[in-house]
Amino acid sequence: MVRSVSKLLICTAIAAGALATAAIAQPKGEPIKIGAILSLSGPGAGLGQPERAGILLAEQAINARGGINGQPVKIIIEDDGSKPDIAKSKAERLVFDEKVVAMIGPSLTASTGAVSAITNAEGLAQITFTGLGPKIELTYKSLYHVLPPQELNARAMLEYTTKALKAKRIGVLHDTGYGQVVLNSLNALHDKYGVEFTAVEKFEVGATDVSAQAAKVRAANPEVVFVIATSPVPFRNARQVKIEQPIVSAIGSASYDYIRGIGEFADDIVFPEFVVGEDPKPEQKEFVAAFQKAYNALPKNFEAAGWDSAQILASGIAKAGGAKATPKEIAAAIRGVHQGAMAKYDFSRDDMTGIELSSYVFSKVVKGKFERLPFVAK
Amino acid sequence: MVLSLWIQAILSGVTNGFVYGLIGLGIAVVFRGARIINAMQGDFALLGGVVAYLLVHNLGWPLPAAFLAAMLSGAVCGMLVERLLIRPTARRQGTDDSYLLVTLGGAFAVSASVLLYFGRDSYVLPGIGGDQSVDVFNAAIRVHALALIVIGTLVVIALRWFYRGTRLGQAMLAASIDPDGAQTIGINVPLVRTLTFGLGGLVGGLAGMLVTPLINLHYEMGLLLTLKGFAAAVLGGLTSPFGAVFGGLVLGLVESLAIVTVSSGYKDVIAMTILILIMIVMPQGLFGRRGRMGG
Repeated sequence: MVRSVSKLLICTAIAAGALATAAIAQPKGEPIKIGAILSLSGPGAGLGQPERAGILLAEQAINARGGINGQPVKIIIEDDGSKPDIAKSKAERLVFDEKVVAMIGPSLTASTGAVSAITNAEGLAQITFTGLGPKIELTYKSLYHVLPPQELNARAMLEYTTKALKAKRIGVLHDTGYGQVVLNSLNALHDKYGVEFTAVEKFEVGATDVSAQAAKVRAANPEVVFVIATSPVPFRNARQVKIEQPIVSAIGSASYDYIRGIGEFADDIVFPEFVVGEDPKPEQKEFVAAFQKAYNALPKNFEAAGWDSAQILASGIAKAGGAKATPKEIAAAIRGVHQGAMAKYDFSRDDMTGIELSSYVFSKVVKGKFERLPFVAK
Repeated sequence: MVLSLWIQAILSGVTNGFVYGLIGLGIAVVFRGARIINAMQGDFALLGGVVAYLLVHNLGWPLPAAFLAAMLSGAVCGMLVERLLIRPTARRQGTDDSYLLVTLGGAFAVSASVLLYFGRDSYVLPGIGGDQSVDVFNAAIRVHALALIVIGTLVVIALRWFYRGTRLGQAMLAASIDPDGAQTIGINVPLVRTLTFGLGGLVGGLAGMLVTPLINLHYEMGLLLTLKGFAAAVLGGLTSPFGAVFGGLVLGLVESLAIVTVSSGYKDVIAMTILILIMIVMPQGLFGRRGRMGG
């Protein structure tokens, strides 16, 4: 019921926005179709749902300002159920039946691999919500990423730890899913940053109590503790076993959902991320205000990534000549620098992302809200 | 190794053990009364948690009343599962495999329904004692976890009395061991089976409201709980409620002691190795033989 009310509010907001801007610019003609494949259900739904919210908002904003070269844009969103085989079949339908001119998504690395094989063969521009994945992606010329590789997320955590906290001894409490992926990147970087992992303890996704692992991390007497998980349980357990050292987490846990779940124990946890809705950077203010108006909630990183993907594609299609442009011309038009709401991207770079550490912001949770910290990574 | 670390491992192991045991308890109750492995047991807990959350947060019910309603909703769900899924399957001479598949399908359906109507977010259900913890020699355990342990123990005692001291409990056992014989002495076997699933659902709903404050409510929690609960129930002997909780405790303690003595990375390897060894030595489980005799 909550979801239905939210949908109604969003539709009302979209309708109100459309009416208000009708007098300014009304796009005409056949809509320019963009396909989007997201994980709206299954394990990746935590990514796909906020990405969809950002995409829908961007679609509304693009059409409200006159569409692409006067033509409306229509983004056809499909759910891959967090499964690459479904992502592939949905991509084939969008590319060959719907004749979309570009593609957004998917939300997960495996699905990105499945979809990019199709878009690459067609030369179709694709903006995905994963960081650079398998090395074959480096050979693709039309696949771009609006989220950083995990290696960059790990660097952001270590930058804050070594430069803001001046700490070298780190304890790690991580889950076997997302946490393991980030840990792999941390392990590759610890020599470079001169840090020592005094205890690394893991637990399965969905664990009910990880206080034994947390106590073992505490016993190793680290200066800082990294808690990397997609569940509130380890954060609560860490504080309950009296880990009083600073806790630094990763971008994947920086959501209001997790913060609510962690409750009072969330205070002072630090997140390297991109969007602090309570205190946005100047280039994020338009997006944050629009999101708050449409959804009556503050956005976080994945909502911003969704918004950026649609905005970048729209500007690329317009630059390439609108509806007349070929897929390859659109893909070429996108290759360059874009200042998005989430970050500044440079799609001409080798990693097809071009996000710099300077795009990160560091936030701390205070009474259920994110507070932007003055630290800037360079 | 410092004393507090050992104590923390034991407290964590007992907490997790009772969580596994409470789910295993429901599985054992259903198996004892119907000889069916119910893969929906974790989803009874999920539904109990959903009901408790909605009543507390949307309707402002006090926690004890919401907890009671969650238990009753679990019982109703259990009876509905028996009437709508199990009985039609039995009428068509369903086998053990088909019951397992039917309940597994039901588990996925419940999870998908919660995702559809309740969303993918996780929801916080307040626990008994809020977020307060009790210090034990510099180790900590949540007050709610202590309540879970006490209530879980009381439920085991109550079930033992129910099966030994009441006609309904004995009728459930008789109906599962020899349905035809039970029918000839006047036991309404279909009704008793429905009530068995109702009892399993009741225990599941109880588990849901006790476990949810520890892990938060999430649409995927049902099957995850079922897997650990099933391991606990099998270890305990599958027919013994006490065995299920004991099995859960063994599993939880082995896991947490493996974490502090070896590594969290080998926790599952060690726990499952011990579980396999126990099952080789005692294929009926720790209390299976006694459970089958009504112990």
